[in-house]
Amino acid sequence: MLTFKDIVKSYEEDVLGPISIDIKNKSFVSIIGPSGSGKSTFLRLASGLIKQSSGLIGYNDNLKPKMGFVFQDSNLLPWRTVLDNVLLPLELTKEDKSKSIEKSLKWISRVGLGGKEDSFPNELSGGQKMRVSIARAMVQEGSLLLLDEPFSALDEVTRRRLEDDLLEIWKTNNITILFVTHSVTQAVYLSERVLVMSSGPGVIIEDLLINKKIDVGFEGTHEFLSQVKHLTDILRNEGI
Amino acid sequence: MYRYLSFIAPLLTFLVLLIFWEFLVNYNKVPLYILPAPSDIFLSLIVNYKDLFSSAFITLRITLFAFSIASSLAILLAILFSQSRLIELSLYPIAVIFQVTPVVAIAPLILIWVGFDNAEYAILILATIVAFFPVLANTNLGIKSVNENLHELFSLYGAGRYQRLVKLQIPFALPFILTGMKTSIGLSLIGTVVAEFVAGSGTSTGLAWRIIEAGNRLDIAKLFAALILLVILGIFLFLLISYIEKIVLKRWHDSSNI
Ligand SMILES: Nc1ncnc2c1ncn2[C@@H]1O[C@H](COP(=O)(O)OP(=O)(O)OP(=O)(O)O)[C@@H](O)[C@H]1O
Ligand SMILES: [Mg+2]
Repeated sequence: MLTFKDIVKSYEEDVLGPISIDIKNKSFVSIIGPSGSGKSTFLRLASGLIKQSSGLIGYNDNLKPKMGFVFQDSNLLPWRTVLDNVLLPLELTKEDKSKSIEKSLKWISRVGLGGKEDSFPNELSGGQKMRVSIARAMVQEGSLLLLDEPFSALDEVTRRRLEDDLLEIWKTNNITILFVTHSVTQAVYLSERVLVMSSGPGVIIEDLLINKKIDVGFEGTHEFLSQVKHLTDILRNEGI
Repeated sequence: MYRYLSFIAPLLTFLVLLIFWEFLVNYNKVPLYILPAPSDIFLSLIVNYKDLFSSAFITLRITLFAFSIASSLAILLAILFSQSRLIELSLYPIAVIFQVTPVVAIAPLILIWVGFDNAEYAILILATIVAFFPVLANTNLGIKSVNENLHELFSLYGAGRYQRLVKLQIPFALPFILTGMKTSIGLSLIGTVVAEFVAGSGTSTGLAWRIIEAGNRLDIAKLFAALILLVILGIFLFLLISYIEKIVLKRWHDSSNI
């Protein structure tokens, strides 16, 4: 899906890299690391929003895929209804109007907001706003979904529901997910692979394939806890 | 409860003050040419309603004209600024110079240039200058306040300048623009009245002219009546913009009080 080769990003100083990594198609990869390690920078590089200072980024078939980006805040446009917010990407890329509406409505109902199409963002809860944000990121039906600490402002119950819904979306849509988080348990729970970044300038200091034999009830297992402990120890040594 | 109170309390206070004023004037037998009682002023308003209301209409018309021109130009200029940093750097200081120059000081010049026969145009120009800056500054601020993540979102989908402007920057700036307009509408009225004063009698017959005229004749009751109309105009205009603001922004209140 995505390959980083000797990627370095610097502003006045180096903030990231060198990083070389290969993200497999349809995988769910989480990135954890101390604040300032360059996690958001990593996502922005992957999305092409910013350019690397050196190194190469390659995509499948050498073609930059369509992708969605979900930020920590839902970042909805307050003057637009739910439907119009979800429509935005299709509007900006000038897709056919009636097909766009059809797709948007489908995604609104996929994220469980059927019936809220005409609501404005200020009429929604934090969790619902995040759902709209996910629908907006998915509506182009791209193959790569980037999320930057998306659920950290939500309460525990809402967060868990959204996590499970995100897993569902990932499984049913054959997409690749890059998920930045501060939470080790969240990373282990959600992903197939966890990358740990060092404090800035961030390099990858651990690349762990999550060993997950069962889906339901994974959190209670010894495997789950030992992997969480392993990652927590690494982060602790990095000085969080 | 407080809703009504916020309306009734100032009204009652005002009434009490009026009664007190009426009483003081009558009790001390203050002559009409020094301080008329509220009842005298009210009477004068009724007797002179033709003069006064037609003058109020003239002042209102110029105020609204000046406000519309100033707002449109200011919004356009702010948009231009958002498209070119060079234009912004070059023109903004000039706008500031206009803003800090007292309008009274340039009024004679404008009058001479436009010609005394066209005093109304001179007044319009002066009021426009006065009303211009708040909308410019606020629109500029609004466009600059667009959150970086929203810009990134638009970049992700390859949005062009025009899409970014129309679908992001302008709507985002709307609450700011309306805030600027609320200041600007009051300034338009002030600018109009000040310019009317400077233009003096002759071709212009707005409320300021009525005030001068009544003053010269020591018709203080009429002077007060004109003054009251002016205040009512000011309040009306402010409420008008507030109402428009409420309607336009009613759906997205969290962002209307950034
Ligand atoms: N546009 C920029 N100009 C200069 N420095 C920047 C810029 N963007 C990011 N940085 C710097 O790059 C470093 C990494 O930032 P980044 O946002 O990627 O960290 P992060 O891991 O996402 O942190 P957090 O967990 O706090 O979100 C920081 O030191 C930051 O100050
Ligand atoms: Mg970050």
